[in-house]
This record gives sequence, structure tokens and C-alpha cells, in this order.
Amino acid sequence: MKRLLLAFALWLPALACAGTLQPLTAADVPALLQPPAHGARIVALWSLDCAYCEPNLEALARLQRANPHGVELVTVTTDSIALRAAIEARLRSMKMDGYPARAYAEASPERLNFLLDPDWGGETPRVLVIRADGSRRGLSGALTPAQLHKLLP
Amino acid sequence: MRCLLITLLCLLPLVASAHDGMRMEMPKGPELGASAAFDSHGRLYVVDAADGHVRLRHSDDDGRTLSAPVEVNATAERIYAEGENRPKIAFGPHDELYVSWSQPRAAPWTGFVRFARSPDRGEHFSEPLTVHHDRAEITHRFDALAVDGNGRIVVAWIDKRDLLATEARGKPYLGAAIYYSWSDDGGASFVPERKLIDQSCECCRIALARMPDGEVAAFFRGIYGDNIRDHAYAVLRADGRTSQVARATFSDWQIAGCPHHGPGLAIGADGIRHAVWYEAKGKPTIWYGQLDPGHAPKHPLAIAGAGAGHADVAVHGQTVWLAWNQVNADGYALMLRRSTDNGAHFDTPREIAHSSGAVGSPQLLLKQGRAFVAWNTAAGFRLVEVPR
Repeated sequence: MKRLLLAFALWLPALACAGTLQPLTAADVPALLQPPAHGARIVALWSLDCAYCEPNLEALARLQRANPHGVELVTVTTDSIALRAAIEARLRSMKMDGYPARAYAEASPERLNFLLDPDWGGETPRVLVIRADGSRRGLSGALTPAQLHKLLP
Repeated sequence: MRCLLITLLCLLPLVASAHDGMRMEMPKGPELGASAAFDSHGRLYVVDAADGHVRLRHSDDDGRTLSAPVEVNATAERIYAEGENRPKIAFGPHDELYVSWSQPRAAPWTGFVRFARSPDRGEHFSEPLTVHHDRAEITHRFDALAVDGNGRIVVAWIDKRDLLATEARGKPYLGAAIYYSWSDDGGASFVPERKLIDQSCECCRIALARMPDGEVAAFFRGIYGDNIRDHAYAVLRADGRTSQVARATFSDWQIAGCPHHGPGLAIGADGIRHAVWYEAKGKPTIWYGQLDPGHAPKHPLAIAGAGAGHADVAVHGQTVWLAWNQVNADGYALMLRRSTDNGAHFDTPREIAHSSGAVGSPQLLLKQGRAFVAWNTAAGFRLVEVPR
């Protein structure tokens, strides 16, 4: 019973975190853009109103699953976190709810765009690749297999 | 121990319930999508959306004070009021007031184009009607509204019926299509819509402008080849003739995505087509140019770069104004450039207003040769007169 309880207690926070949408404010941006300890962090920007975003997210998830130790994947929707229910539903339907997920929580979304990537005009999907060596790259549009391959550390 | 387990088990539904009861909602970001226009008496009208109503306000002192709002649609409905997909306003030859908007339907990316009219300067509005005859629950959104020289009301929008029909046959189809319709009876009814072109961009506003001969021209983002998102130009024929569509920008920006960034168009009395558009083949850039459909634009000028967005253009005589939003880490600047030689040269960019909160797309308006920028900000609607 004790072991079962321990397992259950350990599993509960995991259940609570996976798919729990977190807000992204201007103050959170520096931490999100901090280089990872190793490999690469992929920040996948998407929006509810972007039909190209779904296949792009799914392709990034496949890439991450194939490289679980080298690639950290975070999804960020440019839609307001006030749309939590719709965003979480879409993340679930895309089977993306297992990844850390953020949603804009800033009154001026374009300002957040600018802080995340000054060379980004707000088009979606947008992928930011942040590598352990501190280098950073932004790519717009659904990525081709060749572009996806180049994301690998 | 058992108690703790029971407590944990009780907590479980709470955790799980956070994922239940999902329903599709509209983006509720700052809904600052608004449009403004002067009528022939110089009264300013503004339309935006609040609580399921398109609301109309007016000002007789160039925007310093606004009237109490009038509800355009008496019965509340859902309304798109984002930057690129905002309610529109236009006037008939005798100041009849016309309003259009896009109404979200239940499924994502769907909508109906709606229209209402007022014969008495906004005191009363007709029951809204749906402009298109097609009633499929698909995209008919991003409406654009204009009145031609004969008083015809022209509405164009982005439509996905051909995408769905083509995909149902197992064939690929990039983007959406542009459809348009018009009303010959002052907005009581609209003729069955016709397709202007296949394979337009899905989420960029359509710019409409009246030509010197009174016809209405459209400038919009299309798709060329493998997701090259350049722009097209066409005169929207309302006389049975076929509209000829020609590619009008040649930036070769390739993106399998949503630019969320439509162009602007203003046509001078001399017929020169002054245009602004956005592309990010290299760095993000807003361009000015004079359209020469079928060929590259004349007098191209990169007017703004990173952080600049949603430009508009206006022309009066030899003066051309360009306005756009410039975002930076502190908020937004409303930027302006002016040419006094019909677009051959522009002065240096200058900031004419600032907002620390969110803003909608700027819209250049003219009144007796004076230029104003309608700028909807989180702190309220502003009409900024352009310094002479």
C-alpha cells in the first residue's frame, strides 16, 4: 500500500504539470531564451488561427521524441491565456499536451513578439532554436524535413 | 494512510477536470479592431465591437469627444475584431452608412460575412444580412467594404469553399480564395458571389480603393508556386465583365504559414496606385511602391523594418502619407512618412503618437486635404492629426 501510495503521489504532480498551460509575460522572456545546459531548446510559436501550425508542431514533437536528450520542446501560443480552455483543447487534440506549454499573458502581444525575436513580424508558425552555445535562430513557416533536420544539435 | 490516499483520489478529478468541458472560443486578446471614416459633412464615424455588438460612435470635433455608442446589430452575435479582421464602415453617395464584419462560426477558422445599413446617419440600422449565398460552415472572413462611383456596395472576402472541395477530391490546394459580391439596391440584397481568384493567403486583410473612374480595385496577398506569398491586383468588375487578376509584387517571400499581415492601397486622381505591403524574405520589411500590375512596382522604397507592422497609405493631390505601428520594448509608436512629389521621395520617419498599451492597426483618413490617423489603443480611440 505504501509503495502504491508513493507511486501515486509521485505521479500526481506529473499529471498536474503535463498540459498545464502557463502564462508568458514580458518578464518571463529572458528565462525562456536562456541557453539550455546542453543540446537545443525549440520554442514553437503557434496560434489557434493558423492551420499550418498543427502539422508543424507535430513534426517538432516527432523530432523531439527521436532526440529526447538533445532537444527540449516548449510550445508558446500567441493567443491570450484568457483562451485557456480552447488552447488546452487544441493542444490535446494535437497530442501536444505532454510538452511544457505557454500562452501570451501580455496586453500588447506584438511587444511580446518583439521581445522574443526582434526579427519576427508575427507570422506563424515561428520556431526559435536556442542552443547551449548561446546561438539563436528564428524560422518562419511550417518547416520542411531538411529544415527540421538542421535543427538538431 | 488510507485517509491520505482517499484525499489524493479526491484531488484527482480536480486535476483531470482542468482538461474537460472544452469548447471552441474566439481569441479574446485585446480586441482593438476598429475602422473609422469621415462622412461628406466631416463627421467622423468609428466602428468596433463590444459584447457581441458592432457599435458605432461619431465625433463632430475630429475625435476629441465621441458620442455614446449605437448598436449596429440589435441581437448580439460573435464578431471578429482583431487587427486584420475588423468591422468596416463606408458611405453611400448620400451619406448612407454601411457596416460589414465577419462573424465567427462554431468551428475554428470559419465565419460569415455580415452587413447592415443605416439611412439616417446611424440612428437606425437594418437587420444584419449575410452577404454570401453560400451557407457552408467554412471560412468566409476578412471582409473588405467599399462603395463604387455608381453607389454600388462592393464586399470582398477570403473564402475556403474551393479548398474544401478540392481536398475532398484528394487534390492539394494551397491557401484560400478571394470572392466578392455587390449590392445594386443600396444594401437591401447582394448578388450571388463570384470568385476573383484561387489560392489567396488565408489570413491577410484585403485592401480596396476606388479608382478615378469610380470602379473598386483590390490589392491582396496571393500564393504563387510553392507558397510564395506575393500580392495581386484586380479591378472588381460589377458589370458582367471578368476581373483580370495580375501579380503586382515580386518579393518572392516563401512561407508555409500565416503572415497575418495584409497590404494597403490608395489610388490618386491621376490613377497612380500607391501601395504598402509587408514581406520577410530576409529581414521583416514594409515596402511602399506604385503598382504596375504584371510588373514590379515602381518607386519601391523600404519604409520600415523590424518591429514595424500594419501600414496604411493615403493620397491627396501630390501628397502621399504612410503610417504604421512600430513596436519596441516600451510599447508602440505611431510612425509617419510623407511625400510631396507623388511618392517619388519620402521624408524621414517620425513618431506622431505613442502608446504603452496595445494598439490596433492604424488607418489613414482624409478630410478636405488634411490627413488624420485613426488609432485604436487600449487607452481608447484616438484620431491623430498629421502635422503639416
